[in-house]
Amino acid sequence: MTADAQRRRAFWQILLFTAGLLVLTVISAGSVYLVNKARDDSKWVVHTIEAENQINALLLEIRRAESAARGYLLTQGEDFKADHDKAVAAVIPALDKLTRLIGDNPAQRENIEKLSASIETRLGQFVREMDFIRRGEREKAAALVREIASTDATAAIAKVATGMIQEEERLFRLRTVNSDRSQTLAASMTGIGSGLVVLLALISIWLVRHSVRARDDAEARLRDANVNLEAVVDERTADLREANNEIQRFAYIVSHDLRSPLVNIMGFTSELEELGGDIFRRIGGLTHVPADGPPPSTGEIALEGPDKQLSADFAEALGFIKSSIAKMDRLISAILNLTREGRREFQPEKIDTRELIEAIVSTLAHQAAEAQAEIHVAPLPNLVSDRLALEQIFSNLIDNGIKYLKPGVPGEIRIRGRTKLGYAIFEISDNGRGIDPKDHQRIFDLFRRAGTQDKPGQGIGLAHVRALVRRLGGTMSVSSELNTGSTFTITLPITWNASNRNADQ
Amino acid sequence: MTQPVSIIMIEDDEGHARLIERNIRRSGVNNEIISFANGTDAMKHLFGPDGSGLVQKGNALLILLDLNLPDMTGIDILKQIKENKYLKASPVVVLTTTDDSQEIKRCYELGCNVYITKPVNYENFANAIRQLGLFFSVIQVPPAAP
Repeated sequence: MTADAQRRRAFWQILLFTAGLLVLTVISAGSVYLVNKARDDSKWVVHTIEAENQINALLLEIRRAESAARGYLLTQGEDFKADHDKAVAAVIPALDKLTRLIGDNPAQRENIEKLSASIETRLGQFVREMDFIRRGEREKAAALVREIASTDATAAIAKVATGMIQEEERLFRLRTVNSDRSQTLAASMTGIGSGLVVLLALISIWLVRHSVRARDDAEARLRDANVNLEAVVDERTADLREANNEIQRFAYIVSHDLRSPLVNIMGFTSELEELGGDIFRRIGGLTHVPADGPPPSTGEIALEGPDKQLSADFAEALGFIKSSIAKMDRLISAILNLTREGRREFQPEKIDTRELIEAIVSTLAHQAAEAQAEIHVAPLPNLVSDRLALEQIFSNLIDNGIKYLKPGVPGEIRIRGRTKLGYAIFEISDNGRGIDPKDHQRIFDLFRRAGTQDKPGQGIGLAHVRALVRRLGGTMSVSSELNTGSTFTITLPITWNASNRNADQ
Repeated sequence: MTQPVSIIMIEDDEGHARLIERNIRRSGVNNEIISFANGTDAMKHLFGPDGSGLVQKGNALLILLDLNLPDMTGIDILKQIKENKYLKASPVVVLTTTDDSQEIKRCYELGCNVYITKPVNYENFANAIRQLGLFFSVIQVPPAAP
């Protein structure tokens, strides 16, 4: 999966999440609003019903007062009078309550004013009617009742009340419809919102599953790659081992076969030298032949003039040939020794490093005394490693330290050690002539040396030491400046594992 | 010594052969030296046409052997000599450029009597061969098994 696709997927997920959140917010806000509206609408519906009830209640009180008054007129029963008074007393509060209830509606307010006027007129008529009855003028009261029945007041009350009830019924229908619509709206909004949320959730789940599958695929690929990598590394290691072995064999065979002709060159050069000696002796004998006797057969005969020059040239040429052969032989031997070291199997054993180095120091004590050098050995970590290899490493380095001191300055060579993460780190430092930083790599190369060439050597020691350190699974480095001494640092595993390098030998 | 000892020299390098012969002569050994430049010819001479070694029956031999031969390794020749009932008593001197300790050990295990490394330094080389010559002059070589 490319990084681009990953970014795109993440972007979509965030977008979906945001959309879901937005939808939820809108639904919540909408629902709150609609529910509130529905509640308001319902309240208005209830209000309308209350108002209608109140109108009816008012009418009922008036009718009650009317019928009680008639009953009183007919029977003069005190019960009817009390009933009438109670009903009349209830009319005004009922009217007030109705006024309060429909105070919000201007049309109804007009109606109520008319109604109040009519009710006041009617109440006045009730008072007069009751007065007549109380004074016993029943005819007058009956006439009044008849007159009232024919007047507008009652009809007006009935008419206004009917109008008001109709108005309230109209409002009731309107508000019911409103309320229903609000409720439907709220329900459908919630429904649609929920549907949207579920849809978004489904898309999210699909995306998550998709990315989980992609991750699993990537993991599987990674595992495969790891396995492949290991196989490749093994293969390469085997190849390298094979190549290394081939180089070793090659070096061994070449150096070995080079020796054979060298034996001849050296042998016949020596033969030539002897022959030359014989020839010049003969020449000398011939030139010094006495006139009266045989030439002297033994003893050195001094040559003269050009003969002496010839003999000297001959000897010089042979000398160069022989010294070159000797040098070539040393180089070939060095290569042979190195390849042999490379083939030797290491025998890991427990080694008291300090003891090992003290032993090396004591074998080098003579050279050290000659060079006026002191060797200090600090406490050192012990190792499990190959004893011979360690001896060669340390004796080469200490020997170098003694060999390359600054002339005229008493030498000081220090050997220190410490451990770190399973490795032992040794430092061999001196106060000698030092090594120019540009030569730091070169000194580890075979047959290469650096600095003033005033000491015998083949340029093999450090190459050999580094090869050994590497075979022991370690590393080595040098830090040095000209005239300030050198420090060679060797890092070796504390426990050398025989399986890692011996196997390829 | 009823029978003169013949020295069989198996050495592919003519120069080496010449130097060896010269230095053996210088040490005063005058025995016959038969030299071979390759393994096949030497084997033919030692073991005869039938390969049984019967041809050398009753001959006193001393064998000088180089390990690096063009057609076979000296180790093989050494092994066959020491496995042959007519030849196994003959002393074998391995004279070669190899100074590998493994090789030396192997030669002695196979029954080589002396192992000499040819030094490049001619003084040492000549010395070694002359001493070998002295060794030849005093050694009692048994005749090959009758």
